[in-house]
Amino acid sequence: MTETSASQPNYLNVTKGLFSWIFTLDHKRIGLLYLYTVGSFFLVGVVLGVIMRLELFNPGGDIIEAQTYNQVFTLHGVIMVFLFIIPSIPAIFGNFFLPIMLGTDDVAFPRINLMSWWLYVIGALFALGTLVFGDGPADTGWTFYAPYSVKTGTNVSMTVLAAFVLGFSSILTGLNFIVTIHRLRAPGMGFNDMPLFSWALYATSWIQLLATPIIGITLLMIIAERVLGIGLFDPSIGGDPILYQHLFWIYSHPAVYIMALPAMGIVSEIIPTFSQRTIFGYKAIAYSSLGIAFVGYFVWGHHMFTSGMSGPSAWVFSLLTFFVAIPTSIKVFNWLATLYKGSINIEVPLLYVLAFIFNFLIGGLTGLVVGALAADVHLHDTYFVVGHFHYVMFGGTGFAFIGGLHYWFPKMWGKMYNKAVAQLAFIIIFIGFNILYFPMLILGLMGMPRRYYDYLPEFHTLNQVSTVGSWIMVTGLIIMLVNLFIAHKRGKKASDNPWNGITLEWQTKSPPPLYNFDKMPELVKGGPYNYPNAKNS
Amino acid sequence: MSDTKNNHTQDDSHHITGYAEHFGTYVSLIMLTFMTVFISVFGADLNTLTVATAMFIASVKVLIVAYYFMHLKYDPKVYRVMILLVMAMFVIFLIMLMFDYLTR
Amino acid sequence: MEHSFSLPNSGHNYDAKASKLGMWLFLYTEILLFGGLFMVYMVYRALNPDAFLIASFNLNVWMGTINTVVLLTSSMTVAMSITAIQKGNSKLSLILLAATVLAAVIFLVIKYFEWGAKIEHGFWPGMDHFINLPFGEQLYFYLYFFMTGLHGLHVVVGMIFILIVMKKIKNGSQNKDKNQLLENSGLYWHLVDLIWIYLFPLFYLIH
Repeated sequence: MTETSASQPNYLNVTKGLFSWIFTLDHKRIGLLYLYTVGSFFLVGVVLGVIMRLELFNPGGDIIEAQTYNQVFTLHGVIMVFLFIIPSIPAIFGNFFLPIMLGTDDVAFPRINLMSWWLYVIGALFALGTLVFGDGPADTGWTFYAPYSVKTGTNVSMTVLAAFVLGFSSILTGLNFIVTIHRLRAPGMGFNDMPLFSWALYATSWIQLLATPIIGITLLMIIAERVLGIGLFDPSIGGDPILYQHLFWIYSHPAVYIMALPAMGIVSEIIPTFSQRTIFGYKAIAYSSLGIAFVGYFVWGHHMFTSGMSGPSAWVFSLLTFFVAIPTSIKVFNWLATLYKGSINIEVPLLYVLAFIFNFLIGGLTGLVVGALAADVHLHDTYFVVGHFHYVMFGGTGFAFIGGLHYWFPKMWGKMYNKAVAQLAFIIIFIGFNILYFPMLILGLMGMPRRYYDYLPEFHTLNQVSTVGSWIMVTGLIIMLVNLFIAHKRGKKASDNPWNGITLEWQTKSPPPLYNFDKMPELVKGGPYNYPNAKNS
Repeated sequence: MSDTKNNHTQDDSHHITGYAEHFGTYVSLIMLTFMTVFISVFGADLNTLTVATAMFIASVKVLIVAYYFMHLKYDPKVYRVMILLVMAMFVIFLIMLMFDYLTR
Repeated sequence: MEHSFSLPNSGHNYDAKASKLGMWLFLYTEILLFGGLFMVYMVYRALNPDAFLIASFNLNVWMGTINTVVLLTSSMTVAMSITAIQKGNSKLSLILLAATVLAAVIFLVIKYFEWGAKIEHGFWPGMDHFINLPFGEQLYFYLYFFMTGLHGLHVVVGMIFILIVMKKIKNGSQNKDKNQLLENSGLYWHLVDLIWIYLFPLFYLIH
């Protein structure tokens, strides 16, 4: 197990055995349970992505058939969206660090927290079950559009049931965090004294809570149509498949903010620590999280511009879509202003954060391109969109996740990883990522459609470049993961505060004791990032 | 904002609603129910207006149940704010969704 | 696990206000869950106003009205049961809760007869009479069965919740000083009532 000094019991060694983990009520252990399960599914999703890129290296069917390809990209999407990105940061780092950052010893409802994880596992099993039961995994794309999702023989019902169960897990996590933030903050810590990661989780939790039920009921409607014949989207009786799309995206657009906001929260934590000064514009960043959550509820139609919805309606959605960029850019400006004249410490977490800003910039700007009605007519369902969302979801959230992992690793396990190897891995990942996804933006502009296993000869070269990028990136990921794995087993002992951070998690031991603090944590006066000797603005 | 366990703000959530008040609430709800049935069964043939009237009366009933039976009247203000925001969000969904169908 | 130091704001302390907030948050999710169905209803009724009107004549207004009164009564009894326990009268609280459960049963029995009648006349998806209905009417019935079915499921869940709380009142763990769970079961029950308050006019009172 871990090798902390024998006299120090901590959350890792206080009890042993499988049952003490899978039935734990400790938020930190639950965070790790999520890390291992979510991480495993991430790897499965990566493998599926590599398979797709291999198939796309050359036009025409090579290693898999068309039908299989449809199932691969569906499963890739379902796993990456529902089993990786949406839970990742909240369920792993939120569970582990929210209570500590608030100066308390657990979330508001520890048993519901455990239930959330079990629901995740059950949902994951349902998703895996589609490989075994019925006519194979769904081939509809992760968006399950009616009427095809109702008609196809593949195992849509089980996939959709998996998503429903996972949604319930997500709702309960959000509920738990909202109550935790409202009721369990340390004495003297008002809302405006919380770290920005808490603000990010707060905004995210409201989205998880309010948006997820809508996809829940929509997926139930799909199951009802498949199983009971309740044809609410059946065009042959006057049902409207576009109505399905509306309901689907009313959740799935806010869902991307469930993915993005916690990532931005991590960025807001790492930047002050590695600039050794307070964040520029704390309130602006905090409230912009709420602003993004709020406006993000009302832009879903931009996924449907070419579906057959009305022109005036499309116009309204496009306009609102442009507004959501405003709070996002406020964050970027504030982060940059924090770095400016800060005492910069180039460590691996900061590298990932800087890459985040670069990637998210490209992702965000390409989002505005497809958010513009006239451009979207040409770009919808092309590789431009695929490039766009991988830049924000992977280049953004994914990188922030890895950055967070490298930031909080020493706190979670009390050990430090090999920094040189970590830096090397970062460079390889960053370069590989951009070689993988940037060509997609060009391919999309040239007209290559998405979700096709075959393509015209003029798209050949860029597809090959992209596939090579995938190999480079995966190499980097492997190096990064092996480095962390070795460190977790045999890494050098880390100090309690290797980065000289100032938020409450750095005041306690590494790894933290079972109830987080051995003595009353001291709140920083004047704001959570108020470094005493910095040139704070 | 909502307090932590250590700071107590003014709130009336210790207020105990009397039996008589609950009964009074109940009577008004029954009266509204009969009113809405009456209008529907014996009222004029005004399709859209009937929907609007029925929804309006239903909403009044919902407000009464929420405020009195569910104790929102006596709860900290944040509860009323939250439910208002949730309902507003839902109504905006209805409006935006309907807008698509109305303008096709 | 013994630990010498305990935080004042520990998450392990019992906190009735946290419990109440958690329940309300859960109610919001239920509102949005049914909300999705109400959205579908709104669209299809707007597109098929006449068909919805005609289809609604198949429902019995008086059975719907009785069910509405039944649920409103049960909301009153559960609210009163909270008053009772807060005044220290656990016995009266139990009686009122029993009345609530009884009302729930009556509601479900009436629903059973309503659905039974529909199915008997072939109005279930896939059955003879159903597939010959005009499209708008089919959509009406899809929504009718889905929404009242989902609602009925929630009535059952609410009933079970109340039965659990009744057991806790009997053994004293819910009492004059500690009754947030009862309150929460009441909140859930009122939500079930609220949904019906909207369902009733939308399906039974279209004219």
